[in-house]
Parts: sequence; C-alpha cells; structure tokens
Amino acid sequence: MTTAAPPRAPESARPRAPRPVPAWRRGLRPYLLSIPAVLIIVGILYPFVLGAYYAFLNYAAVVRRPSFVGLANFAEILSDPTFWASVRVTLFYAVAATVIETVLGVGIALLLNRSSLIGRVFERVLILPLMIAPVIAGVIWGLMFNPQFGVLNHVLGLGSTFDWLGEDTAIWSVILVDVWIFTPFVAILVLAGIRSLPKEPFEASAVDGASWFYMFRRLMLPMMWPYILVAVIFRFMDSLKIFDHVYVLTAGGPGDATRTLQIGAYQNSIIQLQYSQGSTYMFLLWVIVFLTARYLVSVLGKAQRRAAGSED
Amino acid sequence: MTRRELWTPNRRDLLRMLGVGGAAVGASSLLAACGLGTGGGDTATDNGAAEVTGGFDWRKAEGTEISVLQTPHPYQVAFQPLLAEFTELTGITVRADLVAEADYFTRLNTELASGAGNYDAFMTGAYFIWTYGPPGWMEDLKPWLENSSATNADYDFEDIYEGLRRSTSWDFKVGSPLGTGGQWAIPWGFETNVLCYNKAEFDRRGIRPAETFDDLIQLATDLTDRANNKYGIAFRGSRSWATIHPGFMTQFTREGCQDYTLQGGQLAATMNSPEAVDFTRKWVELARSAGPTSWTNYEYPDCTGDLGAGTAMMVYDADSATYPQNIAGNSAQAGNLAWHPGPAGADGSYATNLWTWSLAMNSASQKKLAAWLFIQWATGKDAQTKAVQTGQAGFADPTRASVFDGAFQQTLGGFPGYQETFEKVIGSTDIKFTPQTQFFETTEEWAVALQDIYAGQDAKTRLDALAAANTTAVNRAS
Repeated sequence: MTTAAPPRAPESARPRAPRPVPAWRRGLRPYLLSIPAVLIIVGILYPFVLGAYYAFLNYAAVVRRPSFVGLANFAEILSDPTFWASVRVTLFYAVAATVIETVLGVGIALLLNRSSLIGRVFERVLILPLMIAPVIAGVIWGLMFNPQFGVLNHVLGLGSTFDWLGEDTAIWSVILVDVWIFTPFVAILVLAGIRSLPKEPFEASAVDGASWFYMFRRLMLPMMWPYILVAVIFRFMDSLKIFDHVYVLTAGGPGDATRTLQIGAYQNSIIQLQYSQGSTYMFLLWVIVFLTARYLVSVLGKAQRRAAGSED
Repeated sequence: MTRRELWTPNRRDLLRMLGVGGAAVGASSLLAACGLGTGGGDTATDNGAAEVTGGFDWRKAEGTEISVLQTPHPYQVAFQPLLAEFTELTGITVRADLVAEADYFTRLNTELASGAGNYDAFMTGAYFIWTYGPPGWMEDLKPWLENSSATNADYDFEDIYEGLRRSTSWDFKVGSPLGTGGQWAIPWGFETNVLCYNKAEFDRRGIRPAETFDDLIQLATDLTDRANNKYGIAFRGSRSWATIHPGFMTQFTREGCQDYTLQGGQLAATMNSPEAVDFTRKWVELARSAGPTSWTNYEYPDCTGDLGAGTAMMVYDADSATYPQNIAGNSAQAGNLAWHPGPAGADGSYATNLWTWSLAMNSASQKKLAAWLFIQWATGKDAQTKAVQTGQAGFADPTRASVFDGAFQQTLGGFPGYQETFEKVIGSTDIKFTPQTQFFETTEEWAVALQDIYAGQDAKTRLDALAAANTTAVNRAS
C-alpha cells in the first residue's frame, strides 16, 4: 500500500527559520541602545561642565582673552564677606520657608483629609498659587506690599509708613510670598501620602480605644514621615536655589538683606558681566545643594525603612 | 597567570570604558569649545567705513534687511511709524526686535558676547559703552562720520549737544576723560536730571522750589504728610547702579563731590571725601524724612507714578521721565506739573548728569553700511523733527539743538519751566561719572552703601569701606 505523500507547502508559506544575527551586531546592540542615554547625559552635563570650567578662568566682558587662573576666583569669593552674607541669607531663607511650608502644608493636608464638598473645592482652589509663575507672583505681591497704594497696609490699617520690604522686614516678606506659592505643593503631596496609608491599623487602634492624638502621633505621623520628607527635600532644594520672586521684589536689597546666592550669581554674571565670578558663585551653590541633598536623601532612606518596619 | 594579569573585559567593562572614554572626549572637546566660547569679542571685524567709496547715496544698500534690537520706550514708539519712510528713502528694510527694558541689557549682553552679529544696530546707554567697547563689540562710528561717501553732507554731527557727543566717546584708558577716542554711539534721545514738582500744590501753598540743597531738605520735609499719604520728594533708591546716576549724581556733583580722582596713573575712589560723606548723609536723611516709605525699592516708574498720582510733591529724576506725566490723560496730575533745575551748588553750579539712549552698531554686523544709514537717518534732523511732532508719548529730549529749538519748543506750552530749566542746565550737562570699565559693579555697590546707611550704618565708615573696595575694583587688571 502506498500512501500519497502530503502536499508540500509552497516555499513562501513555510515558516522561515530566523536568520542568525551576526555576532558583531548582537554585540553592538547594547551600545546603540545606550546612545540616547549618553546624549541626554552629555546634554545635561554640558552646561554644568561649562559653568565649572568658567569658574577657573578670569572670564569677564572686558577681558578679551580669558586665561586659566586656578582657584583665584574661589579664594576671592570665599574671602568676601558679601558671599558669606549671601550664604547666611540663603540658608535662613531655605530653612524658614521649608519649616513654615511644611508645618502649614501638613496641617492643611490633615484638614483636607475628610471627604466633604468644601474640602474638595478647597483642594482645587489650593493649587492656584502653584499655577502662577513666581515672577508674576513677585509682581503681584510687590503691588500689594507698596506702602503708598498697596492693599496690605490699607486692610491692616498700617497707614503709609510700614515698609514690608525694609531692612528688617524684607526677608520675612519674601518668605511670605514663598509660603503663599509653595505651601499648597506640600499640602497636596502630604495629602496624597495620607490617603495612601492603610486603614487597618487605624481601625484596630480605634477598636482598642486609642485617642485621636495617640493615633496621630504613634501611627499616622511615622507612616506619613517619608511623604513629609519628600516634600521637605523638594522645598529645601528649591529654596536654596531661590531667585525669581525675590529678585522681582527686592533685587537682593535693601543692602544685602535678601541677596541669595542665586541673586549674587546673577548680579556677577549678568549685571556686572563678571562671568567667572558668577560661575564660581553657582559652583559653590551647587556644592551646598549637592551635600544637602545627599544628607536629606539618606535621612529619607532611613525614614522609609523605618516606616516599612525594616529598621528600628 | 592570574585574572589581573590577563584581563578579558566583559560587556559591563566595555560599557564602562565607553562611558569613561566618551566623557573624556566630550569633556576635552567641550573645554576646547569653551575656549572659543569665551572669546566672543575676538570675532569683531575690522571697521567697515573704509570700504564705502564714491558719492553719498541713501540707496547704496538698497535691498538689504537689517535687524535692530530695541526696548519699548517713547523714543522707539515715536520712530516705529517712521520706519516705512526710511525704507522708502533707502530701500532698506528694518526688522526691529523689542525686549522689555528690565531684560533689555541682559539680552543685549548675551547677543554681543556671542559675536554672532544677529543684530546690526541696537539701542544703548552711554555707560554701557565702557563695558561693550573694550572687548570690541561695538563699531567705532567716527570713521563713518568722517567718510563723506557714507555720511550725508547735511548730517551736521555738531548739531548734537556737545555734552552728548562727548559722553559717547572714550578711548577706554584708565584716567582718560570722556571725549577721547572713538565715537561708539550716536545720541538719539536724552534726559537731564532735574526737579519736577506739583505746581498746583505749590501755588496753593504759596511756595516756590528750593534753590539750595539744605532748603530742599526743609521744603520736602515740610511737604511730607504721612497721615494723608503724601510725601515731599521721590527719587530712586533700589539696589541698582541706576539709583546713583539721576538726582544723586547730579546733586553730588553740584555739591562739589567727585567719584574718583587720578593718582599716579590709577583711579582712587573719593566718594568718602568729607564733602561726599556730608552730602550722602543729608541725601539719605532726605530719603528718610521726606522720601517714599519703601525708598529702597524705588525705581523711576515708582517715582514718576507717585508724582502723577499726587502722592509725591516733587521728583528729582529725568526730565523726560516726568514729561509724560503732564500730558493730558496720562496721570491724575497732568497739567499741574512744572520743572525747576533743582538746587544749585554752593558755587552756583548747575552741573547735571545725563542719560542718553543712543544708537550703536554691532561690530560683528555683516551689513554695516545699511546699519550706518539707519543710525544716520534716525539721529538726523528730519527724522528727529518728525518724531517730536508725531510721537505718541512725545520725544523728550531731542539730542539736536536745532530740533530742540525748533519743533520741540513748540510742544512745551503746557510744561511750565521745562524750557527754562533745560536752558539753565544744558551747558553743564554731561556724564559726571569718571569713565571706567567696572562701572556697573562699583556703582551698584554704591547703591548698596546708600541702602546700608539708610538702614542705620554710619555714613563715614560705610563710605570708607565702599571707597576701598571700589578703588581695588576699578584698577583690577583686565
């Protein structure tokens, strides 16, 4: 008996075995895939490397051929009392603004953590200051602070003699504007954290008769702590680099009362056209921000591990 | 043979090597590029005036399009509608880019430093020449003025006030006075720093402007009524070099003070001389007793705004800045304002510091002839006369004597004292600062010192510190 051989599928319909990829192409693939990342890194690093390089030159508008001066710019700036005044102003600003915004932001988040119509409306209204560019906020507050026709002196009954931007008051006024803009950011971040907390521990505590304050202190706060720290890190880093609304309101004055490091860098680079001096300011600010960020991120890591119960 | 002796890289090692190698190559090329990037000034080309030959003809650069960087200002507003006439005359098209005054010089600095030559001509103040000139960013216009093939015989450069011509010329050598060296810009519009006062209020009280500085302090203090939100005198106080140059520098000079003196080939700051300390103390006291509450933030729009609103009784600032406040519809006090030269010095001096918006040429421009024809036209008699006659916010003050005495005087009917004040001070009006390349740094520090004294620091101690720092800065090797 013979059986007919099954018809052969036409050549084109037969599944084709994958063509072997040459070894050199297989080896090249990871490098090709990494090109976009390398380009992005170069794009990010370019301004930084350029700025750092300028800090070691005597580059200024009136210098035709800038030359390498080693650490001379650092020596000059680090021995300048104005620089250290700027460091003090910057740190004070960053600490005060971050503390106030964190306390207010956490408080607002706790108040909003109840599902009510007013709460939902307030949540949406709360983010409005975040939508305003800080420069515009500076202009708006500048008008409000004006002693002659500003609304604040009028409403608060301060007459035309209280100067919101005077020697003793300017730093607090620019912090007030920062608080106005960025407290909602902290509140929203913390609120999102609160809403993601598990309900079971709170229900169990309630069954055991724990007070609201006890639950807040022993349960909610430790679990919220990583979210609060994230907000603190964002706000502190940002505050160290503050420029826009402060410059609009005071240009760093009166005297050096609100001259932050960023404003110092701007004044050196853009107003005085001393590019290397400005770059040195920026480089030193970067060092401060980098060290602070490293420290705060390590604190955050510890807090996260503690909240997860993996560390006492 | 150990692994260390025979290293066979894996993929991770190769990637790491690639990363390090790429970074090294990138960094070295970056740094090399940086070397080029810092030398924007080196891209300046030779002066182009010599290339223009033959007879003068407005249409020599016909078909060219030039770019001009400007800031919105009554001068620019007055000229904008006239650009079509320039195009009709020359066949040159002008593309004017506008940048708000607050950001204008930042943009201009960046543009000139790049050496790209994107803008052929630009508006500038005279002080900026001291910074933009030394790196070669500006074209010397003197060869252009002296070239009859490039400059119309009717141009009449000497018609521009002498103090203005001198203020825009310098040789960039420490200690050299203004008026030496190249002509780096052509004055287009300018302002003298004098007193503007609320005449209606003065008439109601039966008083007249003060003739001495001590009387001005007394008068301004008497006019101050904080309870009713009125104060005696507004002048600038913000943390900026611009605080020093208007009323302060004018009165500083009238009181016999000098910013620097030349000693042994170097500049020595003298803003701490006994007479300067005395004057500064009085000036700050004037701000405290009769100035705006937020003086340390006051810039010229705040000052003139308060005058127009009736809050400030006097302003010591640019005449051209107070001029628009008296135009009907521009302010509540329009029609009520008048001008006065301000207090004379003890020797009767009416020395007055000026500001001029001038037109300059980018040395990196590729269209220099067209740019020069534009500058020449805009600073010429015909165009300036038309700008005075048609400018929406006026054109105070024209830089040409013939235009001031002609078309501009006819607009001064409702501006009591404006012309008399101008005539009294113009002969002694020019830049009263000693020219030096660190002007913005040292003059801003001067403003900071005023703010510190205002906040309570001792004037003598603070000005001594300022003078020491500024002496070092102005003689810094460049």
